[in-house]
Amino acid sequence: MKAKDAYHRIDPTWCRGCGLFGIFEALKRAAATLDLEPEKAVIVTGIGCHGRLNNYFRAYGFHGLHGRTMPVATGIKLTNPKLQVIAVSGDGDAYSIGLGHFVHALRKNVGILYIVVNNRIYALTQGQTSPTTSFGMVTISTPFGSKDFPVDGPMLALAAGGTFIARGFSGEVAPLAALFERAMRHRGFALVEVLSPCVTHNKVNSYEWFRQHIFPVDSVPGYSPKDKNKAWEALEHPEKIATGLIYEEDKPAFEDLVLPDKDKPIAFNDLTPDRASLEKIMEKFG
Amino acid sequence: MKSGEHKEIVMIKDLSVMIAGKAGDGVLFTGNVLARLLKRQGWEVATYRDFPSNIRGEATCYTIRASLGKAYGLSDQVDILMAFDCDAILTHVPHIASSGIVFCDGEGKSNLPPGASRGKTFHTIPLRSMAREQFGQEIFKNMLALGALSCVLDLDFGLLDQIISEMFLKKKGEEVVRKNIQAAAAGCKKAREITSEKERHHLRKKKDRNRLLLSGDEAIAFGALAGGCRFFAAYPICPASEISQWLVHYISRFNGVVVQTEDEISALNMALGAAFAGARAMTATSGPGASLMMEAFSLAGMAEIPVVVAHVQRLGPATGIPTKTQQGDILQWIYGSHGEFPRIVLSPGTLGECFDLTARAFNLAEVYQVPVIVLTELDMGQNFRTAERFDFESIEINRGKLLSQDDLLRIDNFKRYELTPDGISPRSLPSFKNGVHLAESLEHDEKGYRDEERSTRVRMMEKRMRKLKKASPDLISPHLWGDRKAKVGFVSCGSTLGAVLEAMDELKRRKVSSKFLQLRTLWPFPGAAVRRFLSGCKEVFVVENNFSGELATLIKSQVNPCTQLRNVLNYSTRAFTPGEIVSPVLKVCR
Repeated sequence: MKAKDAYHRIDPTWCRGCGLFGIFEALKRAAATLDLEPEKAVIVTGIGCHGRLNNYFRAYGFHGLHGRTMPVATGIKLTNPKLQVIAVSGDGDAYSIGLGHFVHALRKNVGILYIVVNNRIYALTQGQTSPTTSFGMVTISTPFGSKDFPVDGPMLALAAGGTFIARGFSGEVAPLAALFERAMRHRGFALVEVLSPCVTHNKVNSYEWFRQHIFPVDSVPGYSPKDKNKAWEALEHPEKIATGLIYEEDKPAFEDLVLPDKDKPIAFNDLTPDRASLEKIMEKFG
Repeated sequence: MKSGEHKEIVMIKDLSVMIAGKAGDGVLFTGNVLARLLKRQGWEVATYRDFPSNIRGEATCYTIRASLGKAYGLSDQVDILMAFDCDAILTHVPHIASSGIVFCDGEGKSNLPPGASRGKTFHTIPLRSMAREQFGQEIFKNMLALGALSCVLDLDFGLLDQIISEMFLKKKGEEVVRKNIQAAAAGCKKAREITSEKERHHLRKKKDRNRLLLSGDEAIAFGALAGGCRFFAAYPICPASEISQWLVHYISRFNGVVVQTEDEISALNMALGAAFAGARAMTATSGPGASLMMEAFSLAGMAEIPVVVAHVQRLGPATGIPTKTQQGDILQWIYGSHGEFPRIVLSPGTLGECFDLTARAFNLAEVYQVPVIVLTELDMGQNFRTAERFDFESIEINRGKLLSQDDLLRIDNFKRYELTPDGISPRSLPSFKNGVHLAESLEHDEKGYRDEERSTRVRMMEKRMRKLKKASPDLISPHLWGDRKAKVGFVSCGSTLGAVLEAMDELKRRKVSSKFLQLRTLWPFPGAAVRRFLSGCKEVFVVENNFSGELATLIKSQVNPCTQLRNVLNYSTRAFTPGEIVSPVLKVCR
């Protein structure tokens, strides 16, 4: 096991109390537990406060466009499946502008850990409504209350064929680190949505609010993350938000299915033209 | 078939056969077999598809141009029309040569307007009923038609039988091969009954020098494979899908992968992820997909990720007509996307160039760490032409400043975006020790971390923009065709090449000598060569398949002062024929 400081590049400058601190800490712990070499990890981020994670976490990084973490992370994973690819998005990145990619990454079951930092608001742009903002909530873009009904990421993931669906809370770092660790061991796509208070722009969904509204699924008697019906039931709870490992399934990962040789990453191919093979292919055009 | 009167003694040197029918009739299949047959007889071949954007029911036609000299594309006239459907005759009769022959399944001639049939010979040939009665299935009409055409064109039945068996033996078995060979023979017999001796042509046959017959999309895909492309992500779109559909058969043998993405936004972003991780990565699309890729195009520029995009232009705007050719997206990649960043835009005019330029695009992308666009058109991408064999010996892989693990271990302070005199910085790949960095879409410092300092921004902008300053020796220079001393000049790019070259030949016959500068790199603009060319011309015609003269606009923006440029434009649903280029020139130069 590594020291978690191995991944600590610089101290973050998120707002004091931001949920992202808990995520940063949990991710470092999980990486340390897995003894992950910083150069074997790639963190792909979108646009939002979470996107600064690349500056703080020591690993290869790709800070791309708003909503496009999924295709970038997929391209990286397929090119070098030996890498631990971790994509991080906010709720806007994942469930609004990037929703299409999210569903297809789930469907493909690509071997990525996807951390969705859900603060139920657009924070970086100063507090507009997001796809997870509660109905009726007043934000700077919805002064008369949001008229959109929120989406639920884990529920979407379950419907889309997700094989590892979890939800954590950035106020509870130890269980969150355990979820990250387990997600990184999972074969295929792993979603960990993190309920993560924005202390600056969302005064409603505070740490206290989340503490009152979450329930860990493993507190439910007889709960099994292998049982899809139980997972639906937990996710559809009328008052409470399910946390923990909600659903898990064994399915082949996309990279196992499409790559000619997983032990020989595309990244390190010898590209010298194989003239004999090319000549043979050219015969088809005769 | 330019010399109609003495058919019985003159050998044919140039031929245009049109297959027409309704979508679903097997027009493409029939035409492709004919094209291959003519190619195997040693002829140069170019096909031209004129299809509607649906699968069944609407009128469709496919022209096979063949020549003993060069065949680039459409000619102005059709010599033989084989129609599965007599409505097709009405549409195409105006284009049929006065000595032409029309075959039609059914009754067709009676509906022709008076005079339309002058000089032309019409035959009805009951392809469908023969197919049903003799072979039990209507689908054999295609082989009957091929047999009939082979008869009047004096084609080698041994070769036709060979092609049939190549197509069907492995997939469908001996019985199907035998039936198809019989159908071809029956078609020939029927044609012999209904045509007179003087309607049969005598093709001069040459030995097929082992040339190729393929589409531009296939040549691009093959060039990509030879050039080291090992990651290809794309969303299906007409007329670019064939690139990925070809690659998917072969890329796994080279330890590569093709991914069909959920949309074009994903396709280019995924290619960028793959390129960042170390693959030579590519995507392919057409106009609508290109519009969706514009944001990621900018990311490639900012994060300096080498990537190749093949863009096969179709008729726009919006969904336009997906099955028709156009050059309306030339400026899209040159000036497109937000912010300013270096990019390379290549424009192949031949199949050989589709292959070579695509293979070289990967070197350019990696050496300069910029996105490279291979811009072509539906006419090039989807039509089949003969080509010389591709040369694999000349392919060299140059990965530029990509460092190895060993290189990195010898370096103290690796900076992914290091400020260097040529603007190009060293690259490392994820998993390499000592090479950890961030590919950043925000303005960043030399290590890749976000930096909004004024001086950093200025230095980084200048660094990126100077990468291509000294690239010109590596870029593909314009090709000069024709008489260097001529005062009439053409400038063009892409698949208009064939029509321009044929127009030049025709002009020569009419005592107008001309030259032609074919641009093969559109960006960075080959300013010196274009200036030199323009200064040697009295009249300059810029030939392009669009409404507003995008290439001419580009030239005028880069050459100052600029001689008068005359636009020869075609924004219709069909590619240029040579005659459409000859006549505007004659108007000016007579």
